[in-house]
Amino acid sequence: MTASKRFRRWGSVVLLPLLLAAGCGDDEEETGGTGEEESAKVVKIGVIAPLSGDLTAIGTGIKNSVDLAIKQANENNAVPGWRIELAAEDDAAKPDVGAQAAAKLASDRAVVGVVGTYNSSVALQVAPVLQKANVVQVSPANTNDTLTRGEDFKTAPKRPFSNYFRTATLDSLQGGFAADYAWNDLKVARVVIIHDKKAYGQGLSESFGRQFQKNGGAVLTTETINTGDKDFNAVLSKIRSAGAQLIFYGGEYPEASLLSRQAKNTGIKVPLMGGDGIVDPTYIKTAGAEANGDYGTSIGAPPESLESAKTFIADYKAAGYKDGHSAYGALAYDAANAIIRTLPTALGSAEAVDESVRKRIVEAVGKVSFDGTSGKVAFDEFGDAVARTLTMYKVESGSFKAVKTGEFEG
Amino acid sequence: MRARVRGRIRTGGRATALALTGAVTLILAAFSPWATFAGFPGKMSLGGFAGGARLFALALGVAAMVIVFDVRGRRQTGLSVGLGSLAVVGVNVVAIAGEGGALGGVAWGAWLALAGAGAIAAGAFLLPTDRPPGEEWRQLPAPIEASAMATGLLAVLGLVVWGLRIEESSRFISFLVFVGFASVSLHHLGLFDWMSSLFTRRVRLAMVLTAAVAIAFPFTQEGNSYWIRVFASIGVFAVAAIGLNVVVGLAGLLDLGYVAFFGVGAYVGALFADATLTTVHVHLPFLLVILLGGTIAAVFGLVIGAPTLRLRGDYLAIVTLGFGEIFRITANNWDGLTGGPNGISGVPDLAIGSVNLGEAHTVFGVSLPGFANYYFVELLLLAAAILVFTRLDDSRIGRAWVAIREDELAAAASGVDTVRLKLMAFAIGAFLAGAAGTVNAHVTSQVSPDSYTFLESILLVAAVVLGGMGTVRGALLGSAALFIIPEKLRAFQDKRLLLFGIALILMMRLRPEGMAPSRRRQRELREEAPEGVAGATGAPPGRPVAP
Amino acid sequence: MRQFVQQLVNGTVLGATYGLIALGYTMVYGIIQLINFAHGEIFMVGAFGGLTVYRYWLPASMAGNPWIALPAVMIVAIAVAVGVAVAVERLAYRPLRNAPRLAPLITAIGVSIFLQEAVRLFYPGGKRQQPFPQLISSGTFEVAGVTIAWISVFVVVTAVSLMIALQLFVKRTRMGKAMRATSQDPESARLMGINIDRVIVVTFVIGAALAAVAGVMQGMRFAQIDFRIGFLAGLKAFTAAVLGGIGNIGGAVLGGFVLGIVEVMATQYVPHGSSWKDVWAFVVLIVVLVARPGGLLGERVATRA
Repeated sequence: MTASKRFRRWGSVVLLPLLLAAGCGDDEEETGGTGEEESAKVVKIGVIAPLSGDLTAIGTGIKNSVDLAIKQANENNAVPGWRIELAAEDDAAKPDVGAQAAAKLASDRAVVGVVGTYNSSVALQVAPVLQKANVVQVSPANTNDTLTRGEDFKTAPKRPFSNYFRTATLDSLQGGFAADYAWNDLKVARVVIIHDKKAYGQGLSESFGRQFQKNGGAVLTTETINTGDKDFNAVLSKIRSAGAQLIFYGGEYPEASLLSRQAKNTGIKVPLMGGDGIVDPTYIKTAGAEANGDYGTSIGAPPESLESAKTFIADYKAAGYKDGHSAYGALAYDAANAIIRTLPTALGSAEAVDESVRKRIVEAVGKVSFDGTSGKVAFDEFGDAVARTLTMYKVESGSFKAVKTGEFEG
Repeated sequence: MRARVRGRIRTGGRATALALTGAVTLILAAFSPWATFAGFPGKMSLGGFAGGARLFALALGVAAMVIVFDVRGRRQTGLSVGLGSLAVVGVNVVAIAGEGGALGGVAWGAWLALAGAGAIAAGAFLLPTDRPPGEEWRQLPAPIEASAMATGLLAVLGLVVWGLRIEESSRFISFLVFVGFASVSLHHLGLFDWMSSLFTRRVRLAMVLTAAVAIAFPFTQEGNSYWIRVFASIGVFAVAAIGLNVVVGLAGLLDLGYVAFFGVGAYVGALFADATLTTVHVHLPFLLVILLGGTIAAVFGLVIGAPTLRLRGDYLAIVTLGFGEIFRITANNWDGLTGGPNGISGVPDLAIGSVNLGEAHTVFGVSLPGFANYYFVELLLLAAAILVFTRLDDSRIGRAWVAIREDELAAAASGVDTVRLKLMAFAIGAFLAGAAGTVNAHVTSQVSPDSYTFLESILLVAAVVLGGMGTVRGALLGSAALFIIPEKLRAFQDKRLLLFGIALILMMRLRPEGMAPSRRRQRELREEAPEGVAGATGAPPGRPVAP
Repeated sequence: MRQFVQQLVNGTVLGATYGLIALGYTMVYGIIQLINFAHGEIFMVGAFGGLTVYRYWLPASMAGNPWIALPAVMIVAIAVAVGVAVAVERLAYRPLRNAPRLAPLITAIGVSIFLQEAVRLFYPGGKRQQPFPQLISSGTFEVAGVTIAWISVFVVVTAVSLMIALQLFVKRTRMGKAMRATSQDPESARLMGINIDRVIVVTFVIGAALAAVAGVMQGMRFAQIDFRIGFLAGLKAFTAAVLGGIGNIGGAVLGGFVLGIVEVMATQYVPHGSSWKDVWAFVVLIVVLVARPGGLLGERVATRA
């Protein structure tokens, strides 16, 4: 055997165990050198929201608002002996990614609750994962009826996830509210419905159409579009001759702003109405002057009319976040506070978070009742917000003006 | 012999001394404080022990000491260790500076480590070039080889488990850099060659050991389901990637709509499992559903393949892309069957006999979360897929595919029924994807059109190409990398995709044949590589630009 | 009938944009057989380049004057798109000329993801739609009951003139001849003294410039742009290029118009057409390829595999 060979093998033989030793080196060994400051016990509140991809702006608003609630709670020492931390996870607006994120949060024993998701489709995946681990979930934005009332929500509502709550309002209420407004206040009798074929858009459109026809109005035609498309001239040319007095759009602002502009340029000079998905400053910015006269519903009373909402907006500004709080910021802030409020009692004298603590929190969240930024925060037997106030906004000279606030009784 | 060794060392005496000094410095620095402030992961502000990422520096320092005495190949090995330590220290200096407010947060230990790492790299660089080790390892007694193989696999498992446990991203990057450069060093020492020769020589044992390690993984997770879940998803993805590898890697047909077959399987799985929202109220036994899902997907493969397989490569790519889109749009709009945009949710947990796979079980005193069961099901499916793939690769069919891939005209002239064989590749690939899809419907408990976009098809192709075309290892490595890296990059939140894009570009630049290319293909690449512009791309010269 | 003509107009405008982007795909493919997936992103980057001039560089007095603003926006958009395309070619594609066939494809996908994310993360407000200035009147006029927007006229006229100009360039100039030679047989072209690297760079430059013009026109037409406009437009344009016969300039143009008109007509005349229109687009593609494997204007398929 040559020297080189022997050395080479010797080298490997020494290196490999070294790698292994490094691999087995546990963190505990290094704790020998203490001296760093001893901190309070930690609980975490998770956020699952789209933090990458198209919906980043909304997801970031949700994350920052929860962060704000947590910071305030820590400053006020709302949970004595404990420090709350934020654990934000990206769901990329995709169900499977969301489920993965939920599994990650559920496996972190310090996590006591999750605020999210934005998309109803993602929530359908996230809720069961969190339910298995008894982690409470409060969504600021899911509006799909099935999440709290099951598949047969119209006939036999049954709550599918015991850990799931939401501060947002149902599609059926929003669509109905919009239909009543169009029929009673705008005196519109003929509408065209367009939606984006997504869970939110389709659900909202269906509930609008149901209520509008119940009122006696006529839905002339229903068309669908693809999200991501830019040119809707073809579909608009098609419905032009129908002679509608209003276009109802179920979907979100990127497509809505294009539709509104192109409709008016095609010669359909009627307002466009939508749900909370279009009530966003970007809608007006990109639709331009053509957006004037359009309508959109939103959850809760207008922030200008509520002291608490004004405080939230001012605090958010003062905290200096790079992105805006978006349409769901206030509801996310309320959702986070609903969880935080249960912590002092639920944690009690516990040394660490365990199953029983998580169970107590789920139970306690169902019973919270306090005045949040957008009204009273409390949940009914299905986990839905009891506050069902909705506001109709109209675009006037470049901004959303509240024109009617009320509730939809169905 | 001693004289010879001393002679060698003397030729690079100063360089060796420099590298040695660097190694000692690095080791000392590993025990010194790296940060001036408390709170950086690994208690970096304290001296006296090698905490946090300093452990990597320590290991690399010791390795450098050993390597400098190695006679052959020590220049390359030393260089990779030196650069590795530079990278590890560098990453941490940047991270510490970022967290502690500029360079004031970086303590003297880190600078010392940087100097040491630099000295190792410089010393190694100055060493005389020597012939890289190339000789074969001698065959050793069976028990020694077997235990070496077991140790190697255990080391891999240990590294994986350890890496997954690292929470802080700066430390995880240190870990990745460390493992990367350590692997390069080990490769230079010839260890990998030896290992791979062992694994090819003792195939049976290799398979048993690999299976054992794979089965052992859930037991290392302490009842925590997160990574088991990720690994189960990797399993599903890997089966699909192996299927795609039959189409792309073996037969050379570029399929950009492959995820559609996966989707067909998933919808079949959800529809026939009596999910809450199914539109077909039939509950078939799971094994039957897997076969059904695979078969229906294969039929789709034949339907789409029959008219289009006579098209040239890139045309086939766009037709498959079109098919993928048609599938997604159909799933989104055929509300009566597919549930439209909401998809089908509430797919129940699998039950085999009386065992509900969704529940947690306790095995050998270790509690396994429910997901571990799916992980095991995935392993079985994966094993089946691997078996199919390797059998095909070694058969007449596999050789015919390679012939088609390399030169279709020549293959046809030699009597290969090209259309039939291409159809077969398409159908087999689709079958595997369909089978994987049916399982995935249960793993994610829901199917919806959003999961079967063009981007997913692209990711599958990327997995195959990144890993290395035409090999099982490649498909496995590629799928694992594409799943684990984004999961680990979660810390970077919205910069994840950006980094992913950069990683794809760099990977193709540095190692275009993939992480684990097939030997046959590697050889082909080396032999070809003419200077022509389009030469080695394997594509025919294009047609004129003008009509 | 009026409805039909109206939709024909809509389809033509849609197709003009597809065709303009498709030219970039088809030229690059003709020369180096690379499906340049990042080309859609070049289109997007160009649009953002144009927006930057208008928003940040032009003084308010000039921004209001379309005779100054429009050329400025166009020129900078082209400069930005060309710069990015050349950098991508030099840094990402050129080192891979001799790599396995799929390596440049994966690189192109990586570049595409990178460019999208870079704009989303680093362009001010890039996460949301950005309003794009309307430098051409958004008004419309009617001809026999058919509504046509002035911007649509501008889009179609510009696109068609550029396509004709490109055709002349490829047919009449030395560089065009070199491009044709390279696409036929790069090895012989090199032996004839053609600088292949230069030909390839010029190809990328022309493709990027056309895409940038398309980007600015799309921005003006819809009054908004965002970081993902490139992906879908790229996918459609790529389809158009193949439909017409990839590698063929006239084919890309024809493919673009056919695709645009098929989509629009499907929306109008097929039940539920608006959600299924892309299916029809791909069905037409598949039927055409099965009947004429080289695409509409493509040559007979090469006998070599």
